[in-house]
Amino acid sequence: MKKTQTVAFANLIESIFFIALGIWAWIKTGSFEEVKNTYVQASTFPRIMIAGMLIFSVILCVQSIWRLATWKEEDQDSLAGKAASINVFKERPIQAAFVVIVLAVLFVALFQILGYVICAAIVSLVIMFLIGKRNWLQMVLVSVIVPLAMWFVFYKVLTVNIPMGPLSFLTDLFG
Amino acid sequence: MDFGLLFDSYFAVWLNPQVLFMTLLGACGGVLLGAIPGMTATMGVALLIPFSFGMDLIPSIGLLLGIYCGGMYGGSISAILIHAPGTPSAAATLLDGYPMSQKGEAGRALSVAMFSSFCGGVIGALVMTFLSPLVADMAMNFGPGEMFMLAVFGLSVIIAISGKSIVKGLISAFFGMALCTVGLDPTNGIPRFISYKQTGLLDGFQFIPTLIGLFAVAEVISGVERIISGEEKQEKSSEKIKKVLPDLSTIKKIWPNILSGGLIGTFIGAIPGAGGDIAVFVSYGASKSASKHPELYGTGIPNGVAATESANNGCSGGAMIPLLSLGVPGDSVTAILLGAFIMKGITPGPMMYISELPTVYKVFAALMLANLCMLIVGCCGVRFFAKIVSVEKKLLYPIILVISLLGAYSINKNVFDVGVCVAFGVIGWLMNKYEFPLSPILLALILGPMCEKNFVRFMNIQQGNFMAIFQSPIAVVFMAIAVAVIIFSVFNQRKINKRMAGASASDE
Repeated sequence: MKKTQTVAFANLIESIFFIALGIWAWIKTGSFEEVKNTYVQASTFPRIMIAGMLIFSVILCVQSIWRLATWKEEDQDSLAGKAASINVFKERPIQAAFVVIVLAVLFVALFQILGYVICAAIVSLVIMFLIGKRNWLQMVLVSVIVPLAMWFVFYKVLTVNIPMGPLSFLTDLFG
Repeated sequence: MDFGLLFDSYFAVWLNPQVLFMTLLGACGGVLLGAIPGMTATMGVALLIPFSFGMDLIPSIGLLLGIYCGGMYGGSISAILIHAPGTPSAAATLLDGYPMSQKGEAGRALSVAMFSSFCGGVIGALVMTFLSPLVADMAMNFGPGEMFMLAVFGLSVIIAISGKSIVKGLISAFFGMALCTVGLDPTNGIPRFISYKQTGLLDGFQFIPTLIGLFAVAEVISGVERIISGEEKQEKSSEKIKKVLPDLSTIKKIWPNILSGGLIGTFIGAIPGAGGDIAVFVSYGASKSASKHPELYGTGIPNGVAATESANNGCSGGAMIPLLSLGVPGDSVTAILLGAFIMKGITPGPMMYISELPTVYKVFAALMLANLCMLIVGCCGVRFFAKIVSVEKKLLYPIILVISLLGAYSINKNVFDVGVCVAFGVIGWLMNKYEFPLSPILLALILGPMCEKNFVRFMNIQQGNFMAIFQSPIAVVFMAIAVAVIIFSVFNQRKINKRMAGASASDE
């Protein structure tokens, strides 16, 4: 295993990410409007929290650098172990996870246009297929009946109006 | 206290078929509503309050308290079974509840949650019955300084729930606290990290979509990944639920957690503005710190479930204390109940104990009955709920995703919240993957706004003199406990890490 595949190296990258995020957020707080006659400005509390995040990110960074400097291939501790990967080009499980994320984003984008039932049915059907389900009857039934039942519960029982897109006639039907 | 009148009131309420039916109906609805991610007990009570208009006071209060208590327990069902807390106050239940479910002990986890919820509710109701004026007096001494220190005390639990790496836990917590500051500044309305055009974020990240994203959506993404990599295979649960209540040996193990959780929940619930979402984490941290085997917490033990669920339902009694004694609602549900009282021509407050004492006692009895009804509904449902884990994972994960996204939408009927939910799902998945604990973010999201609001108020009242906080005995006590908890948790975590390292070395 390479040094760059260890948990310690992953921690180093994560700490750098949080340091960069903290610095960006700190700079942003400088643009917050200031108010006269107040003892606490709008930027005070966020700055305390960002400072906390920066301090502990630096600690994690130092810990990781120290661990990497003393790293040997035969080390057995948790920091020397193999870190999780998010390499979307090499690993099929990560590709599948990204497909789910893309589907969820599409769900959000098309929610108002296609409505809940159609979006939910498509997303469920694709995820079921993606993870190896091949019983089409079961797949179609579950991905249609569950969103319909949920819509019915939310619309009729909990009186939450949910976008239905082309299926808006159902709202009139059960109105 | 007039014990004769108290017993008369209990009999009058418990033997009234209409009250019994309405409370049972409320508990049933509350359990079902609470189990749906995104639906809280508050929403349940708000939705059903119009149905209580035509009823007498006690049946309508029974109905609403039934929903309240049922909803508190219902939230734990989805937390245990699908890693999606139905209500914010069930968020800590998944720390041990979900691992129990994964170990094939879903039925046991549900029965422990139900029994602990019932006991916590009874403890809350008893404290409410006998100590309400005393507790209310104490709770009303909480000003901004005390509330700020209560939030700091709540945050001190972060180390106890951080898992292996305290540093990562603290980064998560500060990240969560920083996220709370996105939106309009609560005092002066100045936009922070956004512009006025970004209307979806003016109120910051909504808590429930964030919660659903961090836990439910992240779990679906991880679950899909596990199925593809072959780590997660469908296993038929071998658990046979013979008894719907926990066995005696389990009760012997968990009763200290139930007792402490119930009392913590009642006390925190009695403080206006603080509720079950804070109490569960404080109770979990206290239970873990007091345990001889803190390393087992988070691996799926009934003690963790008992500590959180008893605190959760203990809050129901606690929140009623300031409502009845002072006319000040302890949380959002009791605020709605206050409306129900006023509609019936009764104004809660100190005078209620003089002019409406029988009504006060009947409310005590109704709360006790609501807890009993919740237990009955829970007992009837345990076997059915436990079956959910037997549903094929390839069907279950897509269903969880679409229900969770609908839950996120239903809070404000806003698609932006669904986007927030998905974004936090991705954040949660990544953080889980790189061993950043999610519970500290959650706790920070709960306590951050309370912490900031009270900090700003305190500083403005004291004209920028923070040291004035030492003049408040309550604040000093909270500060001292918070420091003690932090020091103890650090030592405890080191002990846990050593034991775990020793255990893994002996395994090899």
